[in-house]
Amino acid sequence: MDPITILLVVVGCVIVGGVFASLGVHLLPVGGAPAAMGTATGIATGTIMLMLGAAVTGLFTASTVATFSTNILLVSFSGAVGSWIMMGVTMLMANVIYVFGSGLVPVSGRVEVDPITKEPQTPYKTPQCDGHGIPTVSYISGMAGAFIGGFGGAIMYFALLNYAFPAERLVELFAWELGKAATVSATMAAIAAIGIFVANAILAAYNIGGTIEGFHDPKFKRLPKALFSCFFVSLFCGVFVCVVALLGGLI
Amino acid sequence: MGEEEQKEEEEEKKPKAEFKFPPDETGLGIISAVIAVIIVILPGTWVPAVIKAIGVIFALLWGADSVRKTSKYGLGTGVPSIGVLAMGYGIIGALLGIAFVKFAEPMGPFSSVAALGGVLLMAVVGYISGVFSNHEKIIAMKIPGLERGMMELGMAGSIAMLLQFSIVAGSLSFDKVLSTAIGTGAIALMFVLSMMAMFHPYNACLGPDEKRPRTLVTSVEISGLLCLILGIVLAATATPVWGLGGVVDGVILIAFSGIVWLVFYVKFVKECMRESDSVVGTGLIRTIE
Repeated sequence: MDPITILLVVVGCVIVGGVFASLGVHLLPVGGAPAAMGTATGIATGTIMLMLGAAVTGLFTASTVATFSTNILLVSFSGAVGSWIMMGVTMLMANVIYVFGSGLVPVSGRVEVDPITKEPQTPYKTPQCDGHGIPTVSYISGMAGAFIGGFGGAIMYFALLNYAFPAERLVELFAWELGKAATVSATMAAIAAIGIFVANAILAAYNIGGTIEGFHDPKFKRLPKALFSCFFVSLFCGVFVCVVALLGGLI
Repeated sequence: MGEEEQKEEEEEKKPKAEFKFPPDETGLGIISAVIAVIIVILPGTWVPAVIKAIGVIFALLWGADSVRKTSKYGLGTGVPSIGVLAMGYGIIGALLGIAFVKFAEPMGPFSSVAALGGVLLMAVVGYISGVFSNHEKIIAMKIPGLERGMMELGMAGSIAMLLQFSIVAGSLSFDKVLSTAIGTGAIALMFVLSMMAMFHPYNACLGPDEKRPRTLVTSVEISGLLCLILGIVLAATATPVWGLGGVVDGVILIAFSGIVWLVFYVKFVKECMRESDSVVGTGLIRTIE
């Protein structure tokens, strides 16, 4: 490909990754500190820990697949599946602890009837609490969020690995062995992808104010604001990554 | 006489801080930034790793102070988020910095000045994200000084990352940083421990009895730990034995940062002991019937 197309692909993939990270954060059931006491719906930790955990797991699977495949969709979807598994296991184990350890009923605090299963929620909610555990609707929303977030992280990794910091150019530039160049290229792509990903995920986390239940939460309506800010922040980050690649002679 | 006694009592009630960070938040920011920037500007091969470690400590101190300043109002997502944001920007800024250095390398020995280009660009991105977060029509966090805080965090993160690259690789030259600091995976350690040095102090000390000296001492202590690990990485990966950027340089850095860690850890524990209140047994909480 000619350099201008490469630059456009890199910036485009970084923007897609950043916006998907933001969207993914809005879909996760994040409970924060109240959830640790079982008085709010969601997983008992912060948005960043959850999204970073999911994205890094996704990057593990994506980078493994990227060692033998150059198909962008295959790599991106493998990253999505990695995040998916991590988030699914986390939510399942959290529910096991809530239900069998604390004796709570997983119930949503924001809606009266579960939008997916149509089960009533309010009668099972402890008064003065904001829901408990991870009900069906939050679980499905969380799975969708992890899938989208992992896809975003992996597509960003793929673009940086193959177009912005390609191993072949490193070999030509510094006369390294191919194995060393591949390691450097993969590490650089992964760390830059994580850096851009967390910056976007944190802006999205500020938008939801720390806790959210999923797509049925009223806070989900604030989504366009986060997408707007994340678009511009990822645009800048994408351009800067291109500047690194251009000045470093990697394109 | 009565008045004097009262005054003495008041003085006893208010435990004086054993030591003070003389500059206020703005002053500390400027002083740390200037020290760190000077160390970044000097050509990497002229400066021993210990001096660069001092630069890292100051840069992270600046970051920790900014985190304290912005998180005081309550971010809603926990203090760690803003420290992670700082290092997310820091990594991009440091990569930009080494790319600029490669661009400026043919111009002379002081090419490392160009690394500040990355720091300044990250300041711009930090400011923009601060405006997005604080603007009423966008995210509307309504935190006073968030724009400045995020700008400082982007800059502090980039400077700290650049200095750490310089410690491990010996200089800021593009291919050396790529092969020794990034290719070995040391960058992951740097990423995690630098963000720990920024967010952990305020995260651990926050509360109604939070005091600025104690918080900042924690930051220096974690930076010492970070430099200790960097020293081990340098000593393990360096090829020359003597001279700057060699094995001995790494060993000196290990000794220095070990002392820093020990001194500031002891100081932190003493501060905690002195500022803690005695807990009196209260028995079970009485239930209202």
